[in-house]
Amino acid sequence: MSNENTDTEKKVLTTPELLNNYTGSIQAGLDNGSKYVAAFKSLNQTKELNDLLAAAVELTNYQLNTDFVEFPHQFSDEDVQSIFFERLLALSNNADGFAISNSEHVQKLLAKFTSLGDNTFTFTKSTKNAAGFFFGPTAHNRPLFYLNLKNKELMFHGSALIDYFVVDLEGLEIGAIKQAMQVIMQAAEVLKESFGFKIDFNVLDGVNGEFYEFAAGEIPEPILDELFVKSADNKYILMSGENGGASLTLDNDTKLNVYNAGDEDRPKWGATIHDNDQKESWLNLLLDYPFIKDWYLDNKKQLEILSNKFIFG
Amino acid sequence: MDNKIENDPFSQNDSILSSALSEKVKYLSDLNDSIKNGNDLKVYELMDPNRFATEVKGEQPDQPKASFFNLAADLKAQLSHHLSNKLIDYLGTTYPFFYYHEYDLGKFNIYFGNWWDHRMFGELDAINVQFNFAEDEYNTLAKSFELESQNKRVNDDQMRELGQKNEKLTQLIEDQTKRDQRKEEIRKQIKENEEKSPMPWEAGKVKEEHQQLQDALLELTNIDEQASDGRAAIKKNENQILALSKEETIYNLEKQNIRASFGSFEAFIDNNNNLYAKYLQSLSKESQVTDGE
Repeated sequence: MSNENTDTEKKVLTTPELLNNYTGSIQAGLDNGSKYVAAFKSLNQTKELNDLLAAAVELTNYQLNTDFVEFPHQFSDEDVQSIFFERLLALSNNADGFAISNSEHVQKLLAKFTSLGDNTFTFTKSTKNAAGFFFGPTAHNRPLFYLNLKNKELMFHGSALIDYFVVDLEGLEIGAIKQAMQVIMQAAEVLKESFGFKIDFNVLDGVNGEFYEFAAGEIPEPILDELFVKSADNKYILMSGENGGASLTLDNDTKLNVYNAGDEDRPKWGATIHDNDQKESWLNLLLDYPFIKDWYLDNKKQLEILSNKFIFG
Repeated sequence: MDNKIENDPFSQNDSILSSALSEKVKYLSDLNDSIKNGNDLKVYELMDPNRFATEVKGEQPDQPKASFFNLAADLKAQLSHHLSNKLIDYLGTTYPFFYYHEYDLGKFNIYFGNWWDHRMFGELDAINVQFNFAEDEYNTLAKSFELESQNKRVNDDQMRELGQKNEKLTQLIEDQTKRDQRKEEIRKQIKENEEKSPMPWEAGKVKEEHQQLQDALLELTNIDEQASDGRAAIKKNENQILALSKEETIYNLEKQNIRASFGSFEAFIDNNNNLYAKYLQSLSKESQVTDGE
């Protein structure tokens, strides 16, 4: 409780002044705690989406401890994101798909998707940005998306989503996998609609004409040969398209185009999908058509879909 | 010197000349009218009246008809371009799997299908109404049909061979540990052999044994080398297998398409051989229908 440092240049405080400062500091610490509690209550109980976001932003990087008052039991910033995410879904009528699974343990909350069994997920703070968090399966160090509530950003990581949902979860019923993806998409939609978040849907984007850019830039012909052969084995015919590209008509008139959106000197190969409902995304396509998945995984080095390098790099 | 012998032994006179010229003028004017009226049937008749008579009308003329096409022969490219319009429309329904690209005035490449890496299959001759198929491509297709009846494919042997090579290479790579153990044993034996101090009468035998061991070791290191290059070789073979199965996929699509339109390869060939007659008869039917209206 010594306050030697502040005394050095000033005149010596009287005892009442000293005690006044002391109580003042404790009161400030308690007030800080009350503010935290109010925000936490709001995070936990509010029925208003706006209040929910405000509470989560306030609680993220909240300096709860002061020199005079310390709180031994605290939720981490990561936990705040988990709680926010769960409540966001609950408030937008999606309470069933996603739930925090170990709330009895304070700190490092884990969450589960109802359809994905015992697989747990958690948020991890970005080392580059204190307000940014990566969401991913607990068992892997691979973020599925990046969430920054303060800057209103949500970015999906294409190849990590594929690695997880298509490769790691292989064997699980496709319907269950899609259900979990649907939950994440719902959350993203609400963030976009209600708060105007900037969202990079990447391989989850089902809008017709969304360009999924391949990592290699240039795609050598044998890779398309392979798609041609694999398609034919599955009764689909890869047609030759514009600019040396190719197109594949799948079920229900869903059309996959693979082409060079750049030019010969600066090739920029990638794919687009067109379907009547504007629902089919690259990730869905890989789940729905095993031969396209095999093709993608066989040539992953070239075909990997690029994600935001600055955030995930 | 300007005295001419009274009677012209060739009985040439101006009226004959004039009538011959008139015939030519009429020919060109008929051709011109037919082009302007879009009467392709007549154009074909004018270009080759004899073929037209026998193949389209089924006549057997006693004497060949006079042909004046040499008068317009230098316009073949332009005529071909003109005639290709209706011809390609017709072919679009009878041969729906062929696609054409006019790479030069009146000159058309034929592509089989519009699928990935479709084959350039030759040229379309619009003047003679015939396909001039590229020999190699056509022969492979014919071979593919022929082999199919024996349940075989054109590239089977090559693909099998490459597959076997890869199996062998994979085995070589997998056997590396075994070989390493074997080499260790041989080295030990060589050392033992070298430590022997044989009796003079045994020296030859020991030396021979030494040589045998050295040879065995060399053989194993040779195999090691093959194995170490193995992965690259496997990848190369896989690429070749991919290229070959792509070809097979293309042959399959071609066969499927021919069957869908003609029923069999033989029927396809037969139709090709009668294309001139079939096309012109269809033009003739069309003109009768329009005349009747």
